[in-house]
Amino acid sequence: MAEPERPPLALPGAPAAGEGAADLGPETNALEPAPTAAVSPGTEEPIGDAKKKIDVLLKAVGDTPIMKTKKWAVERTRTIQGLIDFIKKFLKLVASEQLFIYVNQSFAPSPDQEVGTLYECFGSDGKLVLHYCKSQAWG
Amino acid sequence: MAENEFLEEKTFKQYCAEFIKHSEEIGDGWEWRNSKDCSDGYMSKTHFQTWSRTSATEQLFPQAEDDFELCSDDSEVAGPAAASEVIRYEYHVLYSYSYGVPVLYFRASFLDGRPLTLKEIWDGVHQFYKARLLQEPWSTITQQEHPILGQPFFVLHPCKTNEFMTSLLENSGKDKRNTNYITLWLSIVGPVVGLNIPLSYAKAVSQQDEKTD
Repeated sequence: MAEPERPPLALPGAPAAGEGAADLGPETNALEPAPTAAVSPGTEEPIGDAKKKIDVLLKAVGDTPIMKTKKWAVERTRTIQGLIDFIKKFLKLVASEQLFIYVNQSFAPSPDQEVGTLYECFGSDGKLVLHYCKSQAWG
Repeated sequence: MAENEFLEEKTFKQYCAEFIKHSEEIGDGWEWRNSKDCSDGYMSKTHFQTWSRTSATEQLFPQAEDDFELCSDDSEVAGPAAASEVIRYEYHVLYSYSYGVPVLYFRASFLDGRPLTLKEIWDGVHQFYKARLLQEPWSTITQQEHPILGQPFFVLHPCKTNEFMTSLLENSGKDKRNTNYITLWLSIVGPVVGLNIPLSYAKAVSQQDEKTD
């Protein structure tokens, strides 16, 4: 696979979580999510956007920190890589920590897989459930 | 910590059979091979990729994703015409008795038989995985003799496999039956060494559920 690298993009409805949390203190091992006041969870998205965005429910696995906001409205074209970058920023993980996302509890999609495609295949009850796991959980 | 998800050999073979069944449906090239005395077996996939060597960098880089094209596709290569090399990749999934987990063996060579170094293999890995490869405790790569073929292969060391698979599987709860251990494991470790697993393997698991519901 020789895909060009894409810069991480902020998810719609999310603040610049990295910047917003900067004044919480020195970078730690990310046990606290960014303040939710500035976060706009999926359910608040205007209905007009419903077709472009899908609801994603993020579930933590193992010792991975749980995001206070679990439900997000995500553009269909957002990739897994973009989503991982977002969660890592949101959880303030350090650069050496890796994050895995897997779908249907059975498969880790490739980083350039679009969330919209995953929703078509694995979405139910109007949302796509994705599990995420931080590698340090495996010590 | 949840109960360890050790994989029994019998279960390993069942998961591999399911995996290969889907591979046959989509032409992904996996097959089962038995050892000479048929006491052991493993999953195997060989694929070819065309790489270009530009005069500027002298470094090899992979061309288009198409596994089946042996001819260089110049439209994918920027700059002056480059010499192309065809690389042969082999991936084997074996069962480790001592660890109770599957193990990924791999090697790559040029068509003239010259083996690629680990560095050359990594050069073909997506940037997303390179960082993981360098930092993950479970992605230690060693070179070992293939237990059945007796030839040198690179091996993704299995010592951490049980730990991280248990971590992922304990979350499956009552839905554990939905998960093909081999599919989940290979979709995580494979790409790190250049092996891609198409998304339809995950759908295959779902479809099996629908039939059994």
